[in-house]
Amino acid sequence: MSQKTYKPKDAPTLSPEVKVDEPREAVSSEERLQIERPSLRDWMDLRLGWYGFVRKNLDEPMPAGVGWWQTLGNLLMTLLVFQFITGFALAMYYSPSPDSAHASVKHLTYEVGLGSFIRGLHSWGSTVIVIAVVLHMLRVFFWGSYKKPRELTWVVGVIIFQVILGFSFTGYLLPWDQKAYWATVVGTRIAATIPVVGHALLVFIRGGEEVGALTLTRFYSFHVMLLPASLILFTFLHLYLVRRHHIAGPVTPAKGAPVPFYPNQLFKDAIVLLFGVGLLIYLAVALPPGLEAIADPTGTDFSPRPEWYFLGLYELLKVMPSGWEVVATVIIPTGITIGMFALPWLDRSKSRHPAKRQWIIMSGFAAILLIGLMTLKGILETPPEHKKSEATLAESNDIPKAEATQLESLGE
Amino acid sequence: MPKDNLNQDNIEISRRKMMGLVVGVINLGLIGAIVGPMVGFAAAPLGNKRKSRWVELMDESRIKPGEVKEVNYSLLVVDGYHEVEQKFTVFLRRSEEDVICIDPACTHLGCRVDYHADQHKFICPCHGGVFDDEGTNKSGPPPKPLERHPVKVEAGKIWISREV
Repeated sequence: MSQKTYKPKDAPTLSPEVKVDEPREAVSSEERLQIERPSLRDWMDLRLGWYGFVRKNLDEPMPAGVGWWQTLGNLLMTLLVFQFITGFALAMYYSPSPDSAHASVKHLTYEVGLGSFIRGLHSWGSTVIVIAVVLHMLRVFFWGSYKKPRELTWVVGVIIFQVILGFSFTGYLLPWDQKAYWATVVGTRIAATIPVVGHALLVFIRGGEEVGALTLTRFYSFHVMLLPASLILFTFLHLYLVRRHHIAGPVTPAKGAPVPFYPNQLFKDAIVLLFGVGLLIYLAVALPPGLEAIADPTGTDFSPRPEWYFLGLYELLKVMPSGWEVVATVIIPTGITIGMFALPWLDRSKSRHPAKRQWIIMSGFAAILLIGLMTLKGILETPPEHKKSEATLAESNDIPKAEATQLESLGE
Repeated sequence: MPKDNLNQDNIEISRRKMMGLVVGVINLGLIGAIVGPMVGFAAAPLGNKRKSRWVELMDESRIKPGEVKEVNYSLLVVDGYHEVEQKFTVFLRRSEEDVICIDPACTHLGCRVDYHADQHKFICPCHGGVFDDEGTNKSGPPPKPLERHPVKVEAGKIWISREV
């Protein structure tokens, strides 16, 4: 089935009365290609064939009842573009080495003009993105929009979700402060709980037995190379699929004819972008990003805690009895992930109405409730204070004596 | 079947198939040529072996029987592309008979445990793991006792060995 002939059964079409912008002459016609002296605009159009593509997308019919809930994808994509731009800017000042990472982040945050703002946009961006992606997925879940023929749109969306989590996990380490270091020590240790291959996987992820220089370069490489490339690829695939199968209308079809994407939906999108990006800018200015003390494997003044959206998993680890941690580290997260990928095939009911697919809605609620409660528990719980350390410094060892003395004076 | 009955189309198809096959094989080769070395390169740290090193910590007299002491020391270790002075912490526990050296990394997920002298317990601030003063896991999620490092006492000095 070629793209031209393919049309989903429920594909909305614009009625001939709907007003769209006056169509320009079809650019592909033989005669126009023969025009000897086209205007620059026509020339670009003839060479690129871009105008028809843009037009087709702007005139994309939106079924009646589609509106505010369908703006989240655009918000998400815009925020991701922001991350890309701020990330590019941060990389100009950042140095991924334990010797200099912390100092470079300190420098770019406190000494470089607008540094705190740019880093604020990037770090708050990750939080706002996680909220936006979760809302976006919940909308698709409750609307049942992942059903035939949009299964792969959902699957690619789940991949994008995983990529976003990968971004936040790898990005968290980069400032190389206490918070970053310990969250990564614990986060990577999770891999080691996998039977048989766990240890090898741990060494592979860390680039060695301990979290160190090679962990930092590895995470940096994923964060700025592999993950952005995957994100761009899968986002284009996602958008292509969204356009190919068109937007799913409301669960119970609303009255009214489909309207073109531009300007109706794009206007709503723009309003949501205004608030979404406005919130991001507000957060970046009002709550500038901080930086803890430099990563210290012996540090005692710090209780490791992950980013808030991983707190659910963190709390789950607390309640698992000894020997069962693999349930919390591997089985439950993998189960949820497989469930997400398989959702379009688990929920086989023809109807998209929530009342007609009760068990899937119930399992969804159960998962959301579990994650929500665990996260809330983690947020409310004040971390236990690390006991004030009364460490003795070793008398001598194989580091040069002078440095040892220096260390001693810094210590006790 | 006489030879000249083989028409042009059949020759064309087998030629197409052959060329398609060659393209497929070449592409597989190209993927292998870049992915294979890439994986080997990325996984290189798996081949690194750690070596045991003995470190002199302190005078035996500085720790009394029944006492647990937290000791910080540093070692020059190779961390990827550079040699750094890395700080470590261990807990020494002395009984009447001997000295044991306990690693502070919680066996659950690697947070650093604290010693609570009043309760004679090691407690992990992350997920609430509790170990007794010999490092045996008592409650909470930790699956096994805290790791120990070999200890030797020579000429009144306490030495420990650790893998770096």
